Amino acid sequence: MRTSSWNIFKVFLKIGAILLGGGYVIIPIMKQELVEKRKWLNDDEVCDYYCVSQCLPGIIAINMSILVGYRLNKFKGMLAAVFGMGFSPFISIVIVANLLSKIMSIGFIDGLFWGVNLSVIVLIYLTLKEMWQKSIVDIFSFCWFLLILFLAVFKVNPAILIIVSIILGLLMEKIRRIKNV
Amino acid sequence: MFNTYFLLFFEFFKIGLFTFGGGYASLPFLYHICDIYSWFTHQELTQLIAISGITPGPIGLNMATFSGFQTLGLKGAFISSLALILPMMIITSQVFRLYKKFSENSYVKSVLYVLRPTSCALILSVGAKLFYNLVLISDLSLKLIDIKAFVLVVFLFLLTFKLKRDPIIYMAIAGLIGVVLQFVKNI
Repeated sequence: MRTSSWNIFKVFLKIGAILLGGGYVIIPIMKQELVEKRKWLNDDEVCDYYCVSQCLPGIIAINMSILVGYRLNKFKGMLAAVFGMGFSPFISIVIVANLLSKIMSIGFIDGLFWGVNLSVIVLIYLTLKEMWQKSIVDIFSFCWFLLILFLAVFKVNPAILIIVSIILGLLMEKIRRIKNV
Repeated sequence: MFNTYFLLFFEFFKIGLFTFGGGYASLPFLYHICDIYSWFTHQELTQLIAISGITPGPIGLNMATFSGFQTLGLKGAFISSLALILPMMIITSQVFRLYKKFSENSYVKSVLYVLRPTSCALILSVGAKLFYNLVLISDLSLKLIDIKAFVLVVFLFLLTFKLKRDPIIYMAIAGLIGVVLQFVKNI
């Protein structure tokens, strides 16, 4: 059964508007909107999509919208989900950016930004804590982490570091397969 | 001018293609853009990070839209958001067809094994940069450390043992403390 693209757009419009603060909140919101309220998907699908999204490049929330949209109504559903998801964030950022000079002159805004920016340090710590166990699993991954950290601090282009990592990962598996034959 | 449009598209397409590990993973790329083009300053970038966090939507998308707007206005915002999303639409819709096989494929596993520590290192490098810029003051001022900022970060760090990981809670608490401190200072 396919779901109409207009309905998909409307639901993701809502999800995009109430999603605050980043990736973690997306699972409970999607479960509520897509599984419980509308029964378009089941619980397992949402969890599977989350796992796959984590392995894919890009933003987890957007990748999940793409997977859900594609599942519900192929290519059209995907476009509906992505544009629904992106609509409110886009409009709100454009409005805020337009009023930036006014916003910056509000009396307490410096204090607000000062606090929020400091909280980003702690949020980065939380992101790392969550990733650490899955990422640093042995001596090699720890040494690789230190090497990349060293290079990143000296301003090596992050895209190059990512590409080198992808190539190394492919090569390691290739060598493993040759050895096993 | 055409050139800037193209570069903007190119840079954010790259971010969409090479970001692994959530919104803050795109920060190293934004700092890199800051270093090589003069589209926005480091100070504007810190404003942009704060605003992207407290407006609705995924933070990575918000940062892209905002950077595009700072660079080339409304058109820029549209181009950077579209460029960010495009690689995901291409890759993820293809992966959908074979998604069970995809996450169990040994090449994919091997690539992720190397990519994950890379992402950790890239994100940590940004955390260290922010800590250096916001907490440790080295330029000209005689103070070595901003005590207020340091205390706030330690306080938020201690809160992580008590609170859930929902990011907006930390932003709200820290923002509120910032506002209160500013009022106290003004009085």
